[in-house]
Amino acid sequence: MICILAMIVFGILGIFSATHRKIALEAFDCVFRRVTLRKCETGLDKRLKSQITGKLMRKNPTVARFTFRHFEGISWFFTVIFIVSIIYTGIGGYNYYLYGNCNGPNEDGFCIFDPLGSNSKVSTAQTEASCSVEPQTKESLSLENVNLESFPKIDQGAENDVVFIGCYACPYTRDSYPTIKKLAERQDVNFIFAHLPVKEDTRFISNILNCINEVDSKKFVEFNDELFSTDVSVLRNEDYLLKVVEKIGLDKEAIRQCSDTERIQNLTRLQISEIQKTGIYGTPTVFINGDVVVGPKPYRVYKRLLK
Amino acid sequence: MNINQIKKDFPIYNQKINGMIPIYMDSACVTLKPNQVIKAINKYYKEFPACAGRSGHTYGRKVTEEINHARKIMQDFIRAKRKEEIVFTRNTTEGINLIANSLNLKSGDTVLTSDKEHNSNLIPFQLLQEKGIIHKIFNFGDIEDFKSKLTEDVKLVSTVFTSNLDGTSQPIEEMIRLAHKDKSLILVDGAQAVPHKEINVKKLDADFLVFSGHKMLGPSGTGVLYGKLHLLEELKPFLVGGDTVKNSTYTGYEPEDIPERFEAGLQNYAGIIGLAEAAEYLKKIGMKNIEKHEYKLNQYISGKLIDMGITLLGDTDPSKRGGIISFNIKGVHHHEVAGILNESSNIMIRSGMHCVHSWFNKHGLDGSARISLYLYNTKEECDILIEEIRKIKKFTE
Ligand SMILES: Cc1ncc(COP(=O)(O)O)c(C=O)c1O
Repeated sequence: MICILAMIVFGILGIFSATHRKIALEAFDCVFRRVTLRKCETGLDKRLKSQITGKLMRKNPTVARFTFRHFEGISWFFTVIFIVSIIYTGIGGYNYYLYGNCNGPNEDGFCIFDPLGSNSKVSTAQTEASCSVEPQTKESLSLENVNLESFPKIDQGAENDVVFIGCYACPYTRDSYPTIKKLAERQDVNFIFAHLPVKEDTRFISNILNCINEVDSKKFVEFNDELFSTDVSVLRNEDYLLKVVEKIGLDKEAIRQCSDTERIQNLTRLQISEIQKTGIYGTPTVFINGDVVVGPKPYRVYKRLLK
Repeated sequence: MNINQIKKDFPIYNQKINGMIPIYMDSACVTLKPNQVIKAINKYYKEFPACAGRSGHTYGRKVTEEINHARKIMQDFIRAKRKEEIVFTRNTTEGINLIANSLNLKSGDTVLTSDKEHNSNLIPFQLLQEKGIIHKIFNFGDIEDFKSKLTEDVKLVSTVFTSNLDGTSQPIEEMIRLAHKDKSLILVDGAQAVPHKEINVKKLDADFLVFSGHKMLGPSGTGVLYGKLHLLEELKPFLVGGDTVKNSTYTGYEPEDIPERFEAGLQNYAGIIGLAEAAEYLKKIGMKNIEKHEYKLNQYISGKLIDMGITLLGDTDPSKRGGIISFNIKGVHHHEVAGILNESSNIMIRSGMHCVHSWFNKHGLDGSARISLYLYNTKEECDILIEEIRKIKKFTE
């Protein structure tokens, strides 16, 4: 049994070093002989057993004695654990590839391939105005009965529908923006941007965005490009925002007046309540053809969900 | 004999492995080397790294002189009559092969060996069977069996003096006498005897004696074949070429004098010089002292192991087993015993069949753990060894 363990462990180490490769080969020979009901000839099993027991004897003869007597059982235990962990690593790697996290879609547990968890971080989507009683869960995320009509969109009659819910001032939305933009620029994607002003003091940006969208439904992309690439500290400054409006070729005074109207403020309020119907608990949240991805993920994770 | 003083001569004891000084107990395989030997080897490489015999320049003359001197030392070491009787070889194995292939053995001649020979003293004669030479085997140490097998057709007895398997020695003087009475020649494998006891080949009257330098503090890849001069003269060299002839034409050659006739090609000069230094070192300490020291340690270890209920191979009387203790612990494989000792406390012993597979196979055993002692081993080391073996023994209780 120790030979199986040695074969796998040294097989992996053998990728990097020739000495380990030799032991792995010996172990393989031993395993092969055992499988074909012959004796292991290399003596590797005894060598490993005595090395391990000898080392333990230096520290604690009782532990050494226990190990020696139950060596086969202990080797079995470690082999099984090892194989199981290899399987889990495989699954983890597979999940990481598909969902950007080892633990599966929208999970946020520790993932060795993303040790800092940067693919799973979200900003909480509890707006200060909202008074959602129950904390939302992954399972409840859905676009069902959510009216997306009023949000800025690029509708090119494509086969894929991508809805990006994010907030200008939230760090993880900002992290994910370049990737999402790449997605939005695809020919085969209809894109909707739903701004969720998590902080009350950024709600006015939604108003401005809605006004821009009313004047020219294509301009929101340029507006977003500016806001997501600038320093987050200037976002709450209305003058700055109006400068951006000017920069993208719109009349800043008209937009400012528009954003102050009751109508637009009601629209923003309505939009927020529509977004909350999705069950959102963190930004960024991206719906792609009915599937949902929470947190800033690598491009491949989004792309895989496209038709 | 001051062991602590002796230990200082061996640089290996300056080394620590896992914070502990190594305890070397595999001297039957290869011994440690004292500084004196290492210095002698270095001297050749540093001061006169040239050919002996062939070149007449300053370095050449110096090497020739040193090799002659080394031959003289080896002659004295085994008390040979003449220095020409000393042929330098690479090891015991080469010495045996040289005799097996150079003696004029004919189809129908018989070679007699014991049932406890090192492969080096078995396989060469198995090969000769292809030429119609008969190979017979007697029971190691059994004089009656030996006598009964010593028939007229036996041309050569080739047997071990001290067994490397269990350290037991055969009554070699009597065997030599019996062989000569039968008019057969006798080759003594002295690999485990020459390094551990005083040898006088004149008194022993062996026809050939072979041993290795690396088992007697000498450099690895050195050895000696001793042969009575008149017998060496009758041998037909089987390794020939450079240095084995005085002159040659396209059709013939004039052989070199003895012993150079048997030393084909460029020799291991540094090794030979080192070997002579090792022999000098041993002589200075005294072979009798070494033998006594080994016996004392063997008696001590054997007694403790037997008390623990461990089975020893060979004679139970340690005085008959030189510096070797071969044993098995029930329930722990001999490779495991050796491996654990090595790992737990740097005690280096050998395990396996020790190149005497034939004997182990005959007895249905798959080997043993073997402790082999030498002049540098101490009672304190033996105490550590015994303690560790006691712990291993407990594994099975
Ligand atoms: C009794 C005996 N004969 C022959 C040999 C072979 O010696 P070498 O390997 O030096 O030729 C050994 C080595 O262990 C030995 O112990």
